[in-house]
Amino acid sequence: MRKMHSAFAALAAFAGLALGSTAALAADPIKIGVIYDYTGAFAGGGSKAAAVATKIAIDMINEKGGVEGHMIEAIYADAQSKAEVAINEATRLLDQENVDLIMGVYSSGHCVPMAQKVDAAKRFMWANVCVSSAVFKGKNLRYVFRAQVHSDQFGWASCTFLNERSKEKLGIEPKDLRVAIIHEDGPYGSGVASGNEETCKGYGMDVVLKEGYSAKAPDLSSMVTKLRRARPDVILHTGYNPDITLFLRQSKEQGLRWKALIGHGAGYGQIDKLSEAFGADANYIFNVDPVAAQLLDPATLAPGLGDLTAEMVKRYKAETGAQEVPPHTSMGFNQSWIFFTDVLPRAIKTYGGYDPEALRKAALDTDIPVGGTIQGYGVKFFPEGHEMSGQNERSSPVVMQYIDGKTNIVWPTAIKTIEPVLPLPEGHAYAK
Amino acid sequence: MIDIFLLEAILNGILLGGVLALLALGLNIVFGVIDVVWICYAELIMFGMYGNYVLHKDLGWPLLLAFAVCVVVVAVLGVLLHWLVIRPVLGGAPINQLLVTGGVLTFMQALATLVFGIEFRNLGISMPSLELGEIFLSQSRIWACGVSLVAVALLWLFLKKTYLGTAIRAISQDREIMPLMGVKPGRIYLITSAIGGGLAGLAACLLVLQYDVHPAIGLTFGPITFMVCVMGGLGNLLGGFLAAFIFAQFIQVGGFYFELEWGYVFAFCFFIAMMFWRPQGLLGKRA
Repeated sequence: MRKMHSAFAALAAFAGLALGSTAALAADPIKIGVIYDYTGAFAGGGSKAAAVATKIAIDMINEKGGVEGHMIEAIYADAQSKAEVAINEATRLLDQENVDLIMGVYSSGHCVPMAQKVDAAKRFMWANVCVSSAVFKGKNLRYVFRAQVHSDQFGWASCTFLNERSKEKLGIEPKDLRVAIIHEDGPYGSGVASGNEETCKGYGMDVVLKEGYSAKAPDLSSMVTKLRRARPDVILHTGYNPDITLFLRQSKEQGLRWKALIGHGAGYGQIDKLSEAFGADANYIFNVDPVAAQLLDPATLAPGLGDLTAEMVKRYKAETGAQEVPPHTSMGFNQSWIFFTDVLPRAIKTYGGYDPEALRKAALDTDIPVGGTIQGYGVKFFPEGHEMSGQNERSSPVVMQYIDGKTNIVWPTAIKTIEPVLPLPEGHAYAK
Repeated sequence: MIDIFLLEAILNGILLGGVLALLALGLNIVFGVIDVVWICYAELIMFGMYGNYVLHKDLGWPLLLAFAVCVVVVAVLGVLLHWLVIRPVLGGAPINQLLVTGGVLTFMQALATLVFGIEFRNLGISMPSLELGEIFLSQSRIWACGVSLVAVALLWLFLKKTYLGTAIRAISQDREIMPLMGVKPGRIYLITSAIGGGLAGLAACLLVLQYDVHPAIGLTFGPITFMVCVMGGLGNLLGGFLAAFIFAQFIQVGGFYFELEWGYVFAFCFFIAMMFWRPQGLLGKRA
């Protein structure tokens, strides 16, 4: 009898397993349209790094059996660094490929119109990398969410860092600090620059020049001439890749000097590229960005996140052969991971599926405390009715500084890994 | 009292004008003789820049040797472009010629992406600046401007003083009659394509000292080069040369007094006004 009981139990267990796996096999895959710039100027400015990282996250999720039994079926689309292509690809993915949601997007110039279009169609979008506050500000979006830092925070971080360290490091009271703000004139650059201007002026700093330019401009020398005339102590710059290197090259040739140069993500997040182009001249550049996860002390994060970061770094290096892992890798991976491990399971379990309505409700329930993601920040979205509804209210950037090709955190002071080198040391090519 | 910074902007405008003039030179001579616009001209320059990168940075060739080889290679590319792509549609409608070179543009961008990837590459060469009191001028720009002037002068001498140059000018003046006089247009077209390609290669050598190269670099120069050529009178070498310097001054001085982008707005407004006033271009002749 006992033997028979055991046999029944084994049979039942086997049947249960079989049923379970059949259910898992039978579960529809979740189709996700992943849009990044795989070609064109943005690709080398961080979009490809984020795209590779998003794919790594999807692969890892699928290796674990998917989400609640559903495998992730990603359709990767190339926006070609062109806004019109990005919008067309989003339309194709939603209407022809019938994807369940759109994910990714590097450029804010693509993100702003795409978010409105997707939201108007009552479809779901999870933005990974684009930062412009204009994506959400005053738009009252309901189906678009972003855990990523937004541009107002970029602008705020650099000025707050200067406000805290100017007197001590530069010997200049913040109210006497001469600051110039230059930026590419898309939503990303303009958004960060507005944040810069508002915060720096709020601290009483003297904004001696604020100017935008096209990231495709073949020449920036008249702006460099004006900067020389304005004599700023610190330059706050937001740009993509070709324009940043053009600016640095023309600044050197035209004798523009400064005490500190603070970049804000995108091209400034690519230290290996800057080092290749400028060698030692790229030393001591600051960069405001969401932190590259591998720079954080795993002990400050929730258990297991350190290992997750190590796995991401390992796979990214194997995939790309890169030595330096830029912040965009963490952005692409982290936002995807948050969606796949927090929002999507809740949508399926609590709201019965992964249609836009279920995903929206699940996203609004998100409540990850600080330290709960690989980039350190927590996640809770501004609710509907708020000016920034859909944007993560717990996101935060850091200020980093590049020294001899190594990335170091210098602000917030609580998590800094080195003391900032400020002003530029004597003898540096750009030292004032 | 002269504003020293304004003076610097004007001088930088002259140097930028030299760069634009060199870019326009090759495109103009090809149009002037063959009557076809190489929409993919900036992509030839892009390949020349990649060539310099590979030869100098990857293979360690001396820079001047890399330059010389790249000029020749891009000249050959120009010949191939004519032989393989332009020649079959020479008798076709102008729109077909435009479309086919537009197709080559897309092909070259995609090919560059496949072969070289999406990374930004540069030679890592930093040339010192020329200091004149408070004025700083880029040496790489001075070289580009100087070479541009020399190239225009040499091309002018070649067209005026040599038999081949005379034949090229003759073909550009009347493509139908000259073959009756014994000039072989096919040969002249090939030589012109080689010259156009060689000038693109020369531009590549000078631009690679100032810019990163990536598959989309052509988009930075292509439209502006085309506008300079149209403003000067498509096919008119001297007109293109003059237009380049006027265009550059609008960009520089406009960008100095107002925001940088306004410089381009003024330049484009001037271009539009010119199209109403002299649709044939600054020095072009009415058809």
